[in-house]
Amino acid sequence: MPQPDLKNELNAAVEPLLPIEKKLIGWSLGLGIVLLVILIAINHFFPIKL
Amino acid sequence: MSDIAVKRSEPIALKARLNEDWLAVVIGLLVFGSALVSITGTDLLGWAVTTSVYTDAARALSPFAKAYAWLGGGGALLATYAALLVVLSAGVVTLGADVKKFAAGFTVVFAIAYASWILGSYAYIAAVTPAEQQKFGIAWSLKLTNEGGFIVALLTGLIIANFLPRFAEWLKEAIRPELYIKIAIVILGATVAVTAAGRLNLASSLLLRGAAAIVEAYLIYWAVIYYISRKWFGFSREWSVPLASGISICGVAAAIATGGAIRARPAVPILVSSLVVVFAVVEVLILPFLAQTFLWQEPLVAGAWIGLAIKTDGAAVAGGGITESLIMAKAAAEGIRYQPGWILATTTTVKIFIDIFIGIWAFILGYIWTNYIDKGPDKAKPSEIWQRFPKFILGFIFVFVVSLWLAVGSTPEIAKALPAAAGEANIFRVIFFILTFFSIGVLSDFRKLWQQGFGKLAAVYFVSLFGFVIWVGLLISWLFFSGFKPPLAS
Repeated sequence: MPQPDLKNELNAAVEPLLPIEKKLIGWSLGLGIVLLVILIAINHFFPIKL
Repeated sequence: MSDIAVKRSEPIALKARLNEDWLAVVIGLLVFGSALVSITGTDLLGWAVTTSVYTDAARALSPFAKAYAWLGGGGALLATYAALLVVLSAGVVTLGADVKKFAAGFTVVFAIAYASWILGSYAYIAAVTPAEQQKFGIAWSLKLTNEGGFIVALLTGLIIANFLPRFAEWLKEAIRPELYIKIAIVILGATVAVTAAGRLNLASSLLLRGAAAIVEAYLIYWAVIYYISRKWFGFSREWSVPLASGISICGVAAAIATGGAIRARPAVPILVSSLVVVFAVVEVLILPFLAQTFLWQEPLVAGAWIGLAIKTDGAAVAGGGITESLIMAKAAAEGIRYQPGWILATTTTVKIFIDIFIGIWAFILGYIWTNYIDKGPDKAKPSEIWQRFPKFILGFIFVFVVSLWLAVGSTPEIAKALPAAAGEANIFRVIFFILTFFSIGVLSDFRKLWQQGFGKLAAVYFVSLFGFVIWVGLLISWLFFSGFKPPLAS
């Protein structure tokens, strides 16, 4: 399998973040934080049972 | 674009991975099924070799069952090698491997890996408590437990990879860490079930908390690392997706699955995967000892942390095994004897929960890329979710459910005999762990990090892993698991 020329690729023009990428990052983080808060609340009200 | 103008990446890598998954299920079930027969009184696997902590090498090895004592340690070792050689050789034929090369390579791999394991069980390396030191008549020891043999196997593999590259190349056909760890995880289902059966409430609580790992890996880690890679380091989308997946989700499998989903060139996720393996080795060598030092009073936090921080199934689950041994040893030295299995079960639960969603995440990325970024006729299809699902997890779940049913839903006689059967299967789980550690070492050619341009990829990994992933993983593990200890051994 031929190897990509990493050095040339990294020197290529930077691809700007597209709106869809920004949406993906934003929604992922937002949803992740909300879900984590919910899970922490569940964890608080239903603690680990031994 | 460079010299590689290929836009479709999935066929070769994906096909091979699926076959390997199913092969792991078949071999794992074969071991589990054979071990279960012992419940009926017929011991099919009692000849398997076990290693005890020793000062006299002649006493290091023995067969698992007393009924096979006539074999002796050497005989048990040869029988174990021969059985694994036959089963694995037959298995790799289905993967299209060169069986002669595999058999020759496996013979050497097994010999070196098991020798490393035996070395790790030497009392000066493995003895933990003062009582053990007294028993063996030694004044000091490294206190690595007998699972320090995993570290020895890993270091041996690293030496071969970095100083004997031609030998490493010769072994290549038998260097299959993903296959070995997947078989081990399928077998592990029995041990986890037997452990869980004793404390069903605690086990179900662990499952609930596995959900936090999914949220963390896919929604938080991935988004942040993708942003860092794109915005701070200027990587293209094609590089950033496998890189973010490799660092945040599940190493090699995730990098390949998501790379294929966005139609990246085949070499991109492969290069990222080699980086993942190298970093996973560094983590396995460091994190369990940090966990032992700073988290020994919070064993479940440590187990979850290892599952969240170490990428690749092999390194994570194996790292969980080492962490369990180290923490149990430290606790034992303080007079606390935890029931074994819970720390490893926590690591495995976290890892498996993360693995389950690889296919779905790859589909989501594939859908976005093929519909909004690289629009073309080749659209992502829902069937890819199943294609990319790690099938070996089905084997783990099956073994877990059957074992749990036998432990709590069958007759008292069967429930009583089950732990011994699971213990017998566990012998092979440990052997596949050893093979995994050694294989990971052999694949970890650190010189790759010095290749032109690779440093920048490694920099993203380093910044993300040590600046973010490890600490957020620790925080979340702490939030969900602190204050809860494994049950004490009776």
